[in-house]
Amino acid sequence: MSEEIVAMRDIKKSFGRVQALKGVDFRVKKNEIVGLLGDNGAGKSTLIKILVGYYQPDHGEIFFDGKKVKFRSPWDSRRLGIETVYQDLALVNLMPLWRNFFLGREMIKKIGPINYIEHRKMKRIAIEALKQVGISLRSPDETVAFMSGGERQAVAIARAIHFGAKLLILDEPTAALSVGETKMVLEHILKAKERGISVIFITHNIYHVYEVADRLVLLEHGEKIGDYRKKDVTPKEVMDIIAAAAGVK
Amino acid sequence: MNDHKKSRAGGNFLQILRIREFGAIVGIAIFFVIFSVISDRFVTIDNLTTTFTMASELGIIAIGVTMLMISGEFDLSVGAAFAVGPMIFAIMINNGVNEFLAIAVALALGAGIGFANGVITIRTGIPSFITTLGMMMFWRGILLAVTGGFPIMLQRNIPLLKYLGGRVAGGLRYSALWFIVLAFVFWIILERTRYGNWNFATGGNIGASKALGIPTTRVKLVNFMICSALAVFAGLTTFARFKIVDPTLGQEMELEAIASAVMGGTLLTGGYGSIFGAFIGALMISMVRNGLVLAGAPAYWYRAFIGVILIIAAVINARIRKKVAG
Repeated sequence: MSEEIVAMRDIKKSFGRVQALKGVDFRVKKNEIVGLLGDNGAGKSTLIKILVGYYQPDHGEIFFDGKKVKFRSPWDSRRLGIETVYQDLALVNLMPLWRNFFLGREMIKKIGPINYIEHRKMKRIAIEALKQVGISLRSPDETVAFMSGGERQAVAIARAIHFGAKLLILDEPTAALSVGETKMVLEHILKAKERGISVIFITHNIYHVYEVADRLVLLEHGEKIGDYRKKDVTPKEVMDIIAAAAGVK
Repeated sequence: MNDHKKSRAGGNFLQILRIREFGAIVGIAIFFVIFSVISDRFVTIDNLTTTFTMASELGIIAIGVTMLMISGEFDLSVGAAFAVGPMIFAIMINNGVNEFLAIAVALALGAGIGFANGVITIRTGIPSFITTLGMMMFWRGILLAVTGGFPIMLQRNIPLLKYLGGRVAGGLRYSALWFIVLAFVFWIILERTRYGNWNFATGGNIGASKALGIPTTRVKLVNFMICSALAVFAGLTTFARFKIVDPTLGQEMELEAIASAVMGGTLLTGGYGSIFGAFIGALMISMVRNGLVLAGAPAYWYRAFIGVILIIAAVINARIRKKVAG
């Protein structure tokens, strides 16, 4: 029925006396890349964490793929196809690539009470899936700690695509990357879109998201202060709106 | 990022270093050679089986401690659990309780101690170091209060105990067989099950694990329970050997268990470790103790020696880990 993959309505959330979100509406259409922008503490992360079930909203409702949902944990939302790539929380550095790739989604064979993991199959598939998105890695046994920031983002995005995510959420994916690596990650994002995946791209840097976004949503002090199709605004205008709302003169 | 090129060039060597127990295996091999040169009584079936049996009681604890350490937590109360289990068992047997029931109750008490450790640590957010230190003091106190400081002796002959700590052949006891079985079972669990994968993830990056939907609280809680229950089980195997439980039994065993785990390559801060490594670590401690006695060194030297080995092992393991795991 719906052409919206996500619709969040009138979301409110407080932490103690701090009202992090004051009734936010947020929508993402199918196959759309939305840039979610705002200064630090604007409520971007809180909004996303509510969407994936990390926090529960105090008020408001959430629809995913046309159905009303109440996620109690990130596990619930992941099962329905919402994949989140957090800045520092995407991969476990000390673990080998193949274990990371399947983390929480291990391929298992039930042997009595034991959930035996099919490690050979997992290693092979991890390498193949990465090759498909244009990343060739040396060994599935290599730990993630040795990969560059860009490679890590790419692995996390490839993982999301592989597991058939419908919505990919990227939290500051380019924050710590070099120019070249940023370009690479943006290409991966466009590739994800080509495969019909919707993307939410959280950042406080308009220039990183402007190139790939279809729509830009601006948050400030827990309120939505703007929702633009990209072609209607310039990066400079967006910056000015955010700065004005944040009280910078 | 010139590590990339290095890793390609030295691929084979890295593949060897990637074996997490590498340091421990080399270490134990060195000690084996040294002691067999020093004493010709070292490499005899009898002595080696005895050494292995002595390693078992420590090693069974070390298995649980390793599981728990990988998930990023700590247990200082295993030494106390090691004594509390047999004490409960002995008191129940002496009061005419069925031995199977008594074992079940002792193990359940162990799991209960672990559960309390876990719930307190996770709910309140205080470090498990403190929780389990308190738990250790509590149970040590209970032990002294209940026994009045005197050992409790077994007053009935319980044939079942043979299968916990009785002799199999020569110096080999059933505890050694249990050690092998348990090490194998937990090695499989850690390396080849979903639970093992979650265990590494929980200790490696708890935020990422939570974000990916891993039930980290449950993982930790189960580990605390496994850890204490295995400590009780190890205590029962020791009890089966002596038929007597002293309230000071197992003192400092918690530290030796941690030492075994660390020598085997397990990281104190979580996310990295090996059951097989702990197996070798416990074996190494037992071998050094035995070897020094055979070499005619005064018994006091053993602790000093273990201390030095522990530090060296930790340093070497850290170096290797930096190369292969970052």
